[in-house]
Amino acid sequence: MGIPVGMISAIYDLALTTGANRVIRGARIEHVCGDPNLGPEKDYAYGMRIVRTALEAVQTAVTGPTLFDPMDMALEREVSHAS
Amino acid sequence: MIQPVRVVHYVNQFFGGIGGEELAHVGISLANGAIGASRALQQALGTQGTLLGTIIGGDNYVSEQRDEAIRAITEHLQSLQPEVVIAGPAFNAGRYGLACAEVCKAAQALGLVAITGMHPENPGTLSYPSELLIVPTGATSVEMPTALAAMVRLALKLSRGEELGPAQVEGYLPRGRRRVYDRQRPGYLRALDMLQAKLRGEAFVTEVPIHAPERVTPATPIADLSRATMAMVTTGGLVRKGNPDKQVSSNATRYYRHTVAELRSLSGKDWEAYHSGYFNHIVHANPNYILPLNFLRDLEDEGTIGGVYQWIYALPGVSTPVAISKRLGRSIAEDLQAGGVNGCLLVAT
Repeated sequence: MGIPVGMISAIYDLALTTGANRVIRGARIEHVCGDPNLGPEKDYAYGMRIVRTALEAVQTAVTGPTLFDPMDMALEREVSHAS
Repeated sequence: MIQPVRVVHYVNQFFGGIGGEELAHVGISLANGAIGASRALQQALGTQGTLLGTIIGGDNYVSEQRDEAIRAITEHLQSLQPEVVIAGPAFNAGRYGLACAEVCKAAQALGLVAITGMHPENPGTLSYPSELLIVPTGATSVEMPTALAAMVRLALKLSRGEELGPAQVEGYLPRGRRRVYDRQRPGYLRALDMLQAKLRGEAFVTEVPIHAPERVTPATPIADLSRATMAMVTTGGLVRKGNPDKQVSSNATRYYRHTVAELRSLSGKDWEAYHSGYFNHIVHANPNYILPLNFLRDLEDEGTIGGVYQWIYALPGVSTPVAISKRLGRSIAEDLQAGGVNGCLLVAT
């Protein structure tokens, strides 16, 4: 029932304590899905990792507020390309 | 000797002794004196109150034919002329709680003292939270005597024209009213008292209670991502370049919907952020940081997701009250549901 939402936020603690059920740790408030300081390729790879983690989250059953950390996730397919 | 207070009781068909769920359709009726749960009320009143009658309403009838039901109840109240109306307690019975709230509202409209009781999670507590006096009860009727005693105490107090103290002291659900009064000790001393109590491991009561966030039942996960339509929402204040829609930069009262059906990614030439809660310039250079369209398009191309929903939703989340956020969120969710969306990414700055 319902539409699963992956909430991507750099202030993930706040999202968890206010009751969001699937929370993905974002990079920083000013650039949530990636990091321009890494240069274009790594920036893309990091952003893609965050988004893939969010997609893992919406495919995962949870019982309450749960953190999905892109750095902890063993994603099925590692990001190998940058476009 | 003080005259006993004139009281009318409202109960549902179950507590009125008519019957259970199979008789929830019955209309409004009046029983003289005490029957069913009203006997317990008469007991709680003792010699301080006289029960003039018991108004009984079927739970389904009152919720489905609300206006008619309230009209009938109002007529009974006008002819009985009580000073006090006591509704319930409804415990955790949802329709009953809603009915009790409506009865109290109608009684107050006649200038009567009205009190109900129900479990704090009964939906009836949300009908007129700032207007009604609601005594918190347990979830089941085991607590009937305690609940009625608390309701009667407040009812008598009000009928004597006495003012009620704070919700926590008097034992009713907070109505969100702030009253000016003298706490006798200045703020810094009260803060120190609390700090000392906390350090000693003693109980203390905060003067700034924080509402516990609502628990939302997690949605069922997506079973087949490769066939799923994914939507995107951002609270990062994403706007079209130059903000032609005149979005505000904080305290949102609405959200904006834009189509991305023809777009592969968001370009800083066409989009920017207008949000007073963070430094927007990095997003100006690459708006995908707050709405990851470029990534979802690539994932769509490789078949990881079924598709990208054609609409995106944006607002500046900063300083937006929870009540407004709920309304906006509900509206977005309804839109997504109607659009056949299977999952959503929400980027919050």
